[in-house]
Amino acid sequence: MKIRWLSLVAAALLVGVFSVSAQGRTPIYVYVDSDTNISDWWTNTIIPAFEAEYPQYEVVLTIVRGVGGGNADIANRALAALQTGDDPQVDYFETLNVESVPAWLENNLFVEITPENVPNIVNVIEATNRIPQEIPYRGSQVLLAYNSEFVSEDEVPTTYAELIAWIQANPGEFVYNRPDRGGSGAAMVTRAIFEVTGRDPSRFVPGTPDPELVAQFPEAWALLSSIHPFIYEGGAYPAGNTPVLELFANGSVNMITAWSDQALQAINRGLLPEGTRLTQLQDLPFTGGYAYSAIPVNAPNLEGALALANFVLTPEIQTAVVEQIGGFPAISWDVLPAELQDQFNSVITDTVPTWPGGEYSALMVEGWYNNVATNIDRSS
Amino acid sequence: MFRRLFSNSLSQVKTRRMTTTQAPTASFSRKWRGAALAYLLVAPPLLLMVLLIFIPALQSIARTLTISVDGVPGFSLSRYTAFFSDPISVNNLIFTFQVTLLTLAAIFVVCFPLALYLRFSSGRIASIVQILALFPLFVPGIILCYALIRFLGTRGTLDTVLSLIGITGYRTPYLKPDAIIIGLVWEAIPFTVLVLTAGLRQVSDSLIESARDVGADDWTIFRRIILPLIARPALIAFSLNFLGIFGSYTIPYLLGPAAPQMMGVFMQQTFGQYRRPDEAETQAVITFIICAFIGFLYVRTVARQRITHEKDE
Repeated sequence: MKIRWLSLVAAALLVGVFSVSAQGRTPIYVYVDSDTNISDWWTNTIIPAFEAEYPQYEVVLTIVRGVGGGNADIANRALAALQTGDDPQVDYFETLNVESVPAWLENNLFVEITPENVPNIVNVIEATNRIPQEIPYRGSQVLLAYNSEFVSEDEVPTTYAELIAWIQANPGEFVYNRPDRGGSGAAMVTRAIFEVTGRDPSRFVPGTPDPELVAQFPEAWALLSSIHPFIYEGGAYPAGNTPVLELFANGSVNMITAWSDQALQAINRGLLPEGTRLTQLQDLPFTGGYAYSAIPVNAPNLEGALALANFVLTPEIQTAVVEQIGGFPAISWDVLPAELQDQFNSVITDTVPTWPGGEYSALMVEGWYNNVATNIDRSS
Repeated sequence: MFRRLFSNSLSQVKTRRMTTTQAPTASFSRKWRGAALAYLLVAPPLLLMVLLIFIPALQSIARTLTISVDGVPGFSLSRYTAFFSDPISVNNLIFTFQVTLLTLAAIFVVCFPLALYLRFSSGRIASIVQILALFPLFVPGIILCYALIRFLGTRGTLDTVLSLIGITGYRTPYLKPDAIIIGLVWEAIPFTVLVLTAGLRQVSDSLIESARDVGADDWTIFRRIILPLIARPALIAFSLNFLGIFGSYTIPYLLGPAAPQMMGVFMQQTFGQYRRPDEAETQAVITFIICAFIGFLYVRTVARQRITHEKDE
């Protein structure tokens, strides 16, 4: 009982201290719905560094991960506030697909980012493919993780064909997750589709799928079916990125596809085996993508939000993207420390193929379930 | 002492009955008022059920049975023939039945002895067993899944313990149908044990003692007294568990294979990933009809119980 009272008093004191220290600082309301590794990184790295540099601002981070539609709900609220002239209570979206709801761009909900309002935007690389309202600031790509204790250096696959051959030669040693349950497994499947369509991701344009490409999907199913019996436990596919990492961590398998950021972070925390190495295919890398931030035009603290956008694109934070969350920088290597590039050379490529998603993903997932995961022939 | 109490309450019942028959007019309006109040009280939940469950369900069923040709809606079974002619859909439905029935069988094998034990023994060990049996109630499904992955997986706890005592060649049930059954049984234990022990408590000690007095052995008592009296709670446990298992999602999705899939996972997949709401709706209606049939069994059992109780009074 005493302890409970004491903790209540302590909590009250803490709240008091914080509210006193917050006086005189303008808040910047940041909303995040990304995974824990990202929200933790904001709390522990970005926010303290930003507030040290800009003592006039106080960043208020709200985590909406798993709550309804996450940031999309907050953006809808901001749109409603824009139309009625109310306070949207948000200044900055950590990650938001600004194109996911057409009404947002139609009503000019987001600030167009230019070198005038965010000077560091000039360093952002072409590969991020940004539209004016987007602030790309961290990337991530799927790669191969293997245990060098059991996989010797000379047998590490460098091409997709070699990977297929390695899996067939080492039954039960490889696993990837169901393509709809995590990007690391999806990359294994989309890479098979790229393989049979001439390794040219630029042919895959978002929108209505190209029938000529779709007609070639069965070849990808045949390729993936050829390794099905050699997957972990004769063809068992876990339901997510994390379960795959777990199988790798406890030594059930010795090679997996994994997100670069999740793998690097797990290595840094000592969760993966000592001999864990990461590599990327040389003929065409696995897919990846960037996270884009956005600022609503009616942000109550627009100035602070733009300062924050500029701050996350500084070499300091972009280095932290690589070192702390295992992500890819969104700015050019020219402005980043040279030794950083050397250190992550084998992992970070300059080409990050993207999969168009949408209808293409529906066809990819359904095709995989009906042709690779099952032994039932639908046509019969 | 007890007998006197009992006879007192009996006589009260009698007197009450007599007064009601003596004054029919006075009680008539009171009865009406009471009935109106009762209907008023049940109206909000009933309205909610009708608006949020029955009407959408009926709309769904109607939608799956109509097809629009040149903008003119007409009756058609085409969605259902499509479902039943697709080998993957049929296989998933059969798989769901298999898993459900096997899980139910396993639940009774585990829970029936447990319930018998808890009914007929007392003391510290029995109360510990009781707490352990209720424990799964407080563990969220997703936590259970990750715990089972760690426990049952390759190089998991079980594998390690087995190899310590010299048993090698363990094959994990993880990502196979067996893991779904294990997870679902674990999750169903508390509810089933509660229902079965509650049912067994209705079997009075005196009934068993008197049977024993006239020379019945344990097996006869079990077969002739306990089994008939527990049939109804067992049916209730069966039907409610059936409904939960048939539509289960988290456990089959995290612990089971990628294919075949149970209906819950299959529906979500068809709706969310394949982007075919029409097919998902058909799957949902088929699942709903199967569950409605089991639900009917449950309602009938409960209604009968109520009628016999009223007769007993």
